[in-house]
Amino acid sequence: MKAFVNVNPRDLHHAATLLQQAHRDGRTAALAGGGSDVLGMMKDRLITPDLLVNLKAVKGLDQVAAGNSRSDTVTIGGLITLDALSRDATVRRMYPVLAEAAGSVATPQIRNVATLAGNVCQRPWCWYYRNGFTCFKNGGTTCYSASGENQFHAIFGGGPSYIVHPSDTAPALVALDARFRIAGPDGERTVPAAEFFTLPKENVARENVLKEDEVLAAVILPPAGRSVRSTYHKIMDREAWTHAVVSAAIVLDMDRDVCRRARVVLGGVAPIPWRLPEVEGMLAGRTITPALAAQAGEGAVAGARPLAKNAYKIPLTRAMVRRTLLALANA
Amino acid sequence: MPRRISRRTFLEGASTAIAASAASPALVSPQPLDEARGARSEVEGQRTAATSVPRKTTITLTVNATRRTVDVDDHVTLVELLRDHLNLTGTKIGCDRGECGACTVLLDGRPVYSCSQLAVWAEGTSVQTVEGLARDGALSPLQQAFVDHDAPQCGFCTSGQLLAATALLAANPHPSTDEVKAALTGNLCRCSGYNHYVAATLAAAASQRSMQNAQNPQNTLNRERSTQGSQNAQPAVDLPTSGVSAGSAVRALSVVGRPTPRIDAVERVSGKAVYTGDIKLPGMLYARVLRSPHPHARIRSIDVSRARALPGVKAIVTHENCNVVWGAGSVAGGQQYNDEVKQITRQRRYAFNNPVRFAGEPVAAVAAVDRQVAEEALQRITVDYELLPFVLDHDDAIGSDVKIWPDGNVSLNNRNEAQPISQRRGDVDAGLKAADQVFEDRFTTAFVHNAQMEPRAAVAHWDGGKLTMYTPTGGIANCRADMARDLGIPPENVRVICQYMGGNFGNKNQNQDADLIAAVLARDAGAPVKLELSRKEDFVGVHGRWPTTQYYKVGVKNDGTLTAIHLRGYSGMGPYRKNTGAIGGVDVYRCPNVETVVYPVYTNRTVSGNFRGPEYPQGYFGIQSMMDHVAFRMKMDPVDFILRNMTRMFRDETPYTSYTLDQCIRRGVDAFEWKRKWREAGADRGPIRRGVGVAFVSFRSGLGRSSAVIRLDAKGRYTVHVGVTDVGAGAKTTMGLIAAEALDVPLSRVDVVWGDTDRCPYSVGESGSRTTIMTGDAVVAAARDLRRQIAEKGPPNAGAVLIASASPNPTLPGQVRNTFGAHFVDVEVDAELGRIRVVKYLAVHDCGRIINPLTATSQIKGGVLMGIGMALHEDLLYDRRSGAPLTAGFYGARLLTHRDAPEIDVLFLQSDDGYGPFGAKSMGEASKVPAVAAVANAVFNATGRRMKDLPITLDKVLA
Repeated sequence: MKAFVNVNPRDLHHAATLLQQAHRDGRTAALAGGGSDVLGMMKDRLITPDLLVNLKAVKGLDQVAAGNSRSDTVTIGGLITLDALSRDATVRRMYPVLAEAAGSVATPQIRNVATLAGNVCQRPWCWYYRNGFTCFKNGGTTCYSASGENQFHAIFGGGPSYIVHPSDTAPALVALDARFRIAGPDGERTVPAAEFFTLPKENVARENVLKEDEVLAAVILPPAGRSVRSTYHKIMDREAWTHAVVSAAIVLDMDRDVCRRARVVLGGVAPIPWRLPEVEGMLAGRTITPALAAQAGEGAVAGARPLAKNAYKIPLTRAMVRRTLLALANA
Repeated sequence: MPRRISRRTFLEGASTAIAASAASPALVSPQPLDEARGARSEVEGQRTAATSVPRKTTITLTVNATRRTVDVDDHVTLVELLRDHLNLTGTKIGCDRGECGACTVLLDGRPVYSCSQLAVWAEGTSVQTVEGLARDGALSPLQQAFVDHDAPQCGFCTSGQLLAATALLAANPHPSTDEVKAALTGNLCRCSGYNHYVAATLAAAASQRSMQNAQNPQNTLNRERSTQGSQNAQPAVDLPTSGVSAGSAVRALSVVGRPTPRIDAVERVSGKAVYTGDIKLPGMLYARVLRSPHPHARIRSIDVSRARALPGVKAIVTHENCNVVWGAGSVAGGQQYNDEVKQITRQRRYAFNNPVRFAGEPVAAVAAVDRQVAEEALQRITVDYELLPFVLDHDDAIGSDVKIWPDGNVSLNNRNEAQPISQRRGDVDAGLKAADQVFEDRFTTAFVHNAQMEPRAAVAHWDGGKLTMYTPTGGIANCRADMARDLGIPPENVRVICQYMGGNFGNKNQNQDADLIAAVLARDAGAPVKLELSRKEDFVGVHGRWPTTQYYKVGVKNDGTLTAIHLRGYSGMGPYRKNTGAIGGVDVYRCPNVETVVYPVYTNRTVSGNFRGPEYPQGYFGIQSMMDHVAFRMKMDPVDFILRNMTRMFRDETPYTSYTLDQCIRRGVDAFEWKRKWREAGADRGPIRRGVGVAFVSFRSGLGRSSAVIRLDAKGRYTVHVGVTDVGAGAKTTMGLIAAEALDVPLSRVDVVWGDTDRCPYSVGESGSRTTIMTGDAVVAAARDLRRQIAEKGPPNAGAVLIASASPNPTLPGQVRNTFGAHFVDVEVDAELGRIRVVKYLAVHDCGRIINPLTATSQIKGGVLMGIGMALHEDLLYDRRSGAPLTAGFYGARLLTHRDAPEIDVLFLQSDDGYGPFGAKSMGEASKVPAVAAVANAVFNATGRRMKDLPITLDKVLA
């Protein structure tokens, strides 16, 4: 690792100011939440920051703040660990999709330190990027996966980069219509989860709207009524410790057998959490029968544009959406 | 931009492990940007290293209940703090990337990867390491359970497994099996089948409960070694009835045959075992290797002047100033032990080669006062490459215009001839004509890495003309001979020491280039040198199993009898032939007409070499998938087909010393309930499809030369000197047990001295599944001599000793000695989601007399799991345009985790053919060899689709 200075900010505003200052001074800075991934990237010299801003020093952003009733929003600090998030009673009761997504990440050791914000903002795990190829994500002008080894790459939303977003919690948060609170040197702003993530054609170097001096502070979840049920289904190519080959975050608001409203968001298939509004529309107001679930599975892959080596994701996505929907509707 | 990748791919290795206090300038970060702007010339490394000043921070934390205040550079990781600053080396670095779990410690009671946390972040925390588990000299119940269940094999991942399990039991005193697997799933192990960690953790939970009742902990670190393993860790041991062809039934012995914890198990569970990476010598320098990012390039020039000018750099070697030949690195015909062949080969491999022939090949090495300086020095080396065309696939290499060697791309044999490896008996054409049906098919297997948990490391120290090498090797004697030959010094001037090592599986028997590089740097610098490879360097810079393409043609009569087998095969060797490149497995079928023609082919990939049954797991996958398919097409139960066609004499002509293959299969069929479970292939129509598979093994178990010395002192203690190192299979304990039995004394009166060429006689080396037999035979012979001396002279008086030594070299006139086994597996395939789950596994083996059922069971289970991994996951993918590997490392290779491991049942038949120590036969490799085919055959039985290309990843299931 290149030598650097570790700084312990008092709060997120201080953290953002440090980032801003470093940027103005022509120095590079990086944020460390749990630190696992950022240190790995520094060891591999994918990034070589002069300044490492240690968010472990910031207190109070590791809580789940629930209101008094189910009709209140719930605010989750960005620095909550994935382990705590996956075990939190409120989250498990009201937002199982988020608890399950957090619990599906990597290993206990990583979940014990990894933060929600860090997971949401994780850089891609494309092997070209991680092996230091000078691709778009490493400041280059090429996506090596487009005509290279693209087994795990995007079937939706790709171009000019074909990475898939690596986060498990991100699809869950989009499916929950979360809002993201972002801290910057001049204060805070809030954006809907769905607008937080950006496609490569908007900004090929990054995966979200965070500016260089901004930090994801918290996520705000809308109230989840008793009629809402949700789940996260992650397909991996070993039984644990990999990113999703394909995943689905599904939230259903049910009126007995009838689905009032649905959110279906895929992971592992696109450079951002991939919401399926057509499928959601297909489900709204209807009973989720095997036939409708199959139709939703078909709808989920409509418009998919596979690369040379990832067409298998289409039948995989189709079957997973169908089966997860049915299982959730009948839960 | 073809063939352009960042140099950092191979430099990241330079940044691993322990940090030091020097300035750490940017190493390669400007490269990608230069390249992106099209400014990158083929002259690499010409850039100014930005300087940045490391900052020291004073931190206070509690480590194992002791408050410590330390000054550390901000970039020092927690594991570096523990190992380098606090000398707590029980915490290991297996990958330095949070991909393996060897560095797991408890941070405020919770398991974390200490490689992935900064030391400064641990300010004010409480850290527990493996050294803090024992209390007042007493092992924790969990440590004791690990000892009793043989949880530590090589021991390198043990501390991490222990701490993860410790945290689980603290939070959940009554875990279920699934909860244990979930809690330990962040800890990889390469030796085991994972089952015994789970069993040990559950047993510790039970003993903790009973101890809470009794309030009376009794285990002590130095207690008398237990000779009783726990009951549930014992395998079923079956004693077949006596019969001439099956060998004699074994008679019970007093020490041998009882489940016995390893004699060094306590060291392995308490962090006291010293591995090569834990060695620190006064004045020791740290080395780093610069590796080629290009798969094939001529080095026009190397400029090291700027590196040499860096303060703290003590030695730099490149192909220009180091012409050391690495004899074991490329030996035509795979004759690793044949010095004559090493002399005559035209395809000599040097420690540093020009041209470089694979991405990851060493180009230069630096020794410096610390790792940071060594890392910076690499950055300052300028290499001017002339890029050459390259070829990645063995299928393309024959007939390619790319010439990796002037002789062409078919590897030369030991007579420097470009000939395939051939075997012929009978007349295959006639056999095919005589067949009622002829089947043809093609199978391919992937490059898979040994992936032992301990990455390669070497410490070299010269004292005058004498070299001492600390290195992880399974063959100290071979390593010494190799080092002496390669460096041109007498063998007696080389001492090789290996007290503990973290797994072998075939890549640590002879010397490796890391040993030579460390030795040359140490000689040039006049100081001890430590070289540690990163995990990625270990994956690309050492070797793995050769990938193959196998074309079979099989003739069969309508009654299922084979009439002909033809194999044409191609093996990808990388650019150096480090082993044979053979494809084995046809020999296990009885057939009058056989022809095999296998071409070992050069490619510009990472080198292929020894890996657990070098040519067999891939060959067995091919031939036993092929035969499984023939049985299917002939509408036969595959077991019936095997019983009809399996080997009965070696190559149908030489009798085996004993033969129990039929018994292994029949016992397995009964225990597995094969007849009940086996159905037509693809019988399930729903998404979840169940199937069963079978494969069998007949594997070499030959005799050979090895040596042992046993000393008896006046106190009645016996000291056995054997040149084993114990790669994880338990050789120290095995030798102790054999000695105790042969001397007719309890194991507690026997000490074993191992792993040091100055203190131990020749041993064959822990490869080829030979140590128990060959070195064990030597121990028996030495013990016999010692007993004769005692009978003649009486026991030694005070101050005197009796010494006996033996170097037997037994032979088998007119016979072949093999070990036999059969594997049976249940799988469940989710045809819609592509998931393959191994539900249940049964391995039946006759490995002759089982010396130690506890460690033997671990060996078999570990081989099985490795076979499952090879069948379903492991591969090394390359980018085809740059020739650079993409999936080096544990994450990329998708090594199996706790959650992937099925319950593996092991059933030993035991027979005594009158050879080997008490009738012991080989087992280490035979346990893996049939597993790949068994899994693949089960997938076929489940789905009705024959998987012909390894690994069987989910995209192939869904295709």
